[in-house]
Amino acid sequence: MPEEPYNPSPIGNPSVLARRNWWQTILVKFIGKHTPKCREMVRILSQSMDEPLPLIMRIKKRLHFLICCWCQRYEEQLRYMRRTARQFPEHADEASDVPFSIEMRERIKRKLAETPR
Amino acid sequence: MSATDLQAASRWVDDHGECLYRYALVRVRKPEVAEDLMQETFLAAVRGYEKFGGRSSERSWLVGILKNKIVDHFRKVGREKSFTDIEFLSDEFSEKFVPIGFWNHDLGPHEWKPEPDEVVHRAEFWQVMRDCLSKLPEKIRAVFTMREMDGVPSKEVCAILSISDSNLWVMLHRARMALRECLEMNWFDTPAGGTA
Repeated sequence: MPEEPYNPSPIGNPSVLARRNWWQTILVKFIGKHTPKCREMVRILSQSMDEPLPLIMRIKKRLHFLICCWCQRYEEQLRYMRRTARQFPEHADEASDVPFSIEMRERIKRKLAETPR
Repeated sequence: MSATDLQAASRWVDDHGECLYRYALVRVRKPEVAEDLMQETFLAAVRGYEKFGGRSSERSWLVGILKNKIVDHFRKVGREKSFTDIEFLSDEFSEKFVPIGFWNHDLGPHEWKPEPDEVVHRAEFWQVMRDCLSKLPEKIRAVFTMREMDGVPSKEVCAILSISDSNLWVMLHRARMALRECLEMNWFDTPAGGTA
């Protein structure tokens, strides 16, 4: 019997379905064949952050997540990055040590005083 | 400007100037542009103070004004130089996937433990975030920060930078992939990040 080119669900895979028995193996193979591969899925996941996915793609994504904890993690991490990125501006002073000099401070105050309302 | 307005503006410069300047600098890179944007922000804040109403913190309000000023800046820059040629950004991490397209399991995303509420209190995390952002090519960084930090809707980002939807998605995908990888390597997989 020819060897499979790649096993999408190796031993130790923490995904929900992971070829732990014969019926899981059938399901994993079926889902692996009928949902986008991970390389394509990460592109779709990124796009879904910017516009809603069609219903059929949302279903495929959910099915794919059953056999692939990595793509599921990837989506969670995209959301995590968005949540933290939104908070970045208010923490910008902690993110850098670029000096905000007294001269610049005074220059800004002076310009503000000179500007008519 | 009245004496009271000037006093308020002066206090904002002292209390929030450093944060606003550093944020503007992360976004536009040029100190003189960052300073001009701050100037405009404080001026707009004085003019619009009556509308403030104290619904958010003073800093959030000022950051909100600065974000608008930055978007206006990019709108102007977008008109002047083309954003349509997508900059090359590695090879979309092709080593992460096996030839038939599944994740290479040893190189797939690791679990990230700390919750956002925990990391926001750690200055080191924001330094890593800034370093990772600074590694992105200029145009890709501009698109990513406008979309993810400023929360500008994607249609508006396309209009501001005169790029197509598909260009935007490619640029955002590359930025997210690169930033995720960088944060994992430099924060989440280190003892400081908590999962190592």
